[in-house]
Amino acid sequence: MARLLQVFGFLSVLFRGATLTFQSLAVGGIVFLIFIVRRSQEDSAQLQQACLRWIRRSALALAVMQISYVLANSLILRESAEMPLRQVLGANFVLAGLIGIVAAFTVIALTVPTRSTGYPGLLLPAAAIIASSVMTSHSVARLDYRAPLVAFTALHQAAAATWLGGLPYLLIAIRRAPAPDAARQLSARFSQLALVSVAVLASAGLLLSFAYVGSIQAVYGTSYGAMVATKVLLFGLLLFLGALNFQLVRRGPASSILASLKRFGEAEIGIGITVILTAASLTSLPPAADLAHDRVSAREIFARMSPRSPRFASPAVQELPEDIYAAQKKAFEVGSLSTESYVPGQTGTRLNTPAEKAWSEYNHHWAGIIVLSMGLLALLAQAGRFSWARNWPLAFFGLSAFLFLRSDPETWPLGPVGFWATLADPEILLHRFFALLVIALAVFEWRVQTGRVASGRARLVFPALIAVSGALLLTHSHSLGNLKEELLAELSHIPLAILAVTAGWSRWLELRLPSENQTRNVMARLWPLCIALIGVVLLNYREM
Amino acid sequence: MQPGRRNHCALILLAVAAAFFIVAPAAAHAVLLESSPSLKSAISGPDVPIKLRFNVRIDALRSRLTLIHPDGSAQVLEISKQTPADTLSAEATGLTAGAYRLRWQVLASDGHITRGEIPFTVTPS
Repeated sequence: MARLLQVFGFLSVLFRGATLTFQSLAVGGIVFLIFIVRRSQEDSAQLQQACLRWIRRSALALAVMQISYVLANSLILRESAEMPLRQVLGANFVLAGLIGIVAAFTVIALTVPTRSTGYPGLLLPAAAIIASSVMTSHSVARLDYRAPLVAFTALHQAAAATWLGGLPYLLIAIRRAPAPDAARQLSARFSQLALVSVAVLASAGLLLSFAYVGSIQAVYGTSYGAMVATKVLLFGLLLFLGALNFQLVRRGPASSILASLKRFGEAEIGIGITVILTAASLTSLPPAADLAHDRVSAREIFARMSPRSPRFASPAVQELPEDIYAAQKKAFEVGSLSTESYVPGQTGTRLNTPAEKAWSEYNHHWAGIIVLSMGLLALLAQAGRFSWARNWPLAFFGLSAFLFLRSDPETWPLGPVGFWATLADPEILLHRFFALLVIALAVFEWRVQTGRVASGRARLVFPALIAVSGALLLTHSHSLGNLKEELLAELSHIPLAILAVTAGWSRWLELRLPSENQTRNVMARLWPLCIALIGVVLLNYREM
Repeated sequence: MQPGRRNHCALILLAVAAAFFIVAPAAAHAVLLESSPSLKSAISGPDVPIKLRFNVRIDALRSRLTLIHPDGSAQVLEISKQTPADTLSAEATGLTAGAYRLRWQVLASDGHITRGEIPFTVTPS
């Protein structure tokens, strides 16, 4: 139970993100099957079976996620409030979860291969899936305008599922279409559906933002507002890719249209999942409109973000608190931050000492130099003038060594805690493992850059890792209140995340797009530029 | 290494990287907007009315208020049923002078569980 409490916050966001993703895939698949595939003039029996198979898989995954969430949340509620099971079972989230689980299993039953009934019957469980999700959204807990907010949330989620959840099915359809013309027709029909979905999604999203964010100042002054702005930016990135698709279908070279559409589709799915993860992260934050006090002002952001020379002098290890975990616990016990709200299992936060801040800034700035160097070398390598620049992934070794030495200063080799003792601490162990992972990343990408791996999926490890890390950076660590220091740190994480997502997917497109597609050359310049910019942002990272 | 196995390695690496990057996310959004007694306030006893207002609808039946007495003993307070949807009310009676902590845990209508603590002092009446 204690372990479940420790990871409860992590599990909640994970379950929410996974639930939203699988819900979109199940509902998007159902809409695609009914409104795109069934109306196709071509014989589409094979395609229908493929869609049904993926709808079934998504519904099963959704059911598993819902069951896990309901069980974990019920267990936490029961144990933390010493509540009888009967009382727990009456909670709204249990009812919502049950609706979602029953609807998901209904979808599975209606999509088994032996059934021959019409597919419109799937729309009812699809609506129930959306309803169960809305029942655990911000809208049901609002005091004012509850009914319209519930309606807008339902529209927002249904439109997102139709568009983003329909994209993988478009890829399946393109791959399985009997002729290129059929694939083109399916793409054109999906484009129309996507346009309507985008209009509904954006309109409902705008109205929800008015209710939950409320003002421009709240956009940059609160975690919720900043995450909404991030979602809008990623939405813009998706629209940009959509526009490239649109142009491609109309004016692209006939020989490579389908191959290009598939590759753009992959990137859109990846960025779409990032948007869904951002949305999951939003559901775990209090709406900006509720946090009227202690917002970060534009002046404070400007003061923190304005360029200054990097810190190349580190404080001594002796200046840092000996045991940061004990210091954190002590700060919490004093109760200095006890007006905050926490999830069960979470501890209080402690403001870092000036020495700790300087230590962290020094770490970020050196990491920035290494990453900036990698980005610039990758740019040179892409230009094809300096073949030695292709070895830029080897700089990851420097980053790994730096992480190993500086991420846990209280441990070996810098601090008094011995090497073997550190293996018992999961957090330190994770840092050490990450240092090893960076080495693995270096080896993978170095082999790709130097031509040792010319084809195959191994080439995609680097872009996928970068894109995933960017996506997950958006879901990590938010303050429930308006802790200014945390929010300012978060504001510097957001550009890093967006740049990482862009770098990852542009590298992916460079590797995957057919050679005759001109966009490939733009992508080849874009990702090294994004990596260099990540270095610049890191170089200007400040904690004071 | 076989190509298939290499792909598996890539997937494992991805999963591990994913696990690393999700660092201690917070999840909840019932935020305490105001309270009586307020944080670190001094209030005269022996009877102390308690009122907590949140930013969202609260499931009062599945929420808890616990008073930690100066001697460390815990007392679960009965939550009043006649309160607005965003408020929890209770009455702590017979409190002697000393330092108390009011621990709250709420279930918001959207299923999020949140908790917090309000230290306050009771002064002799």
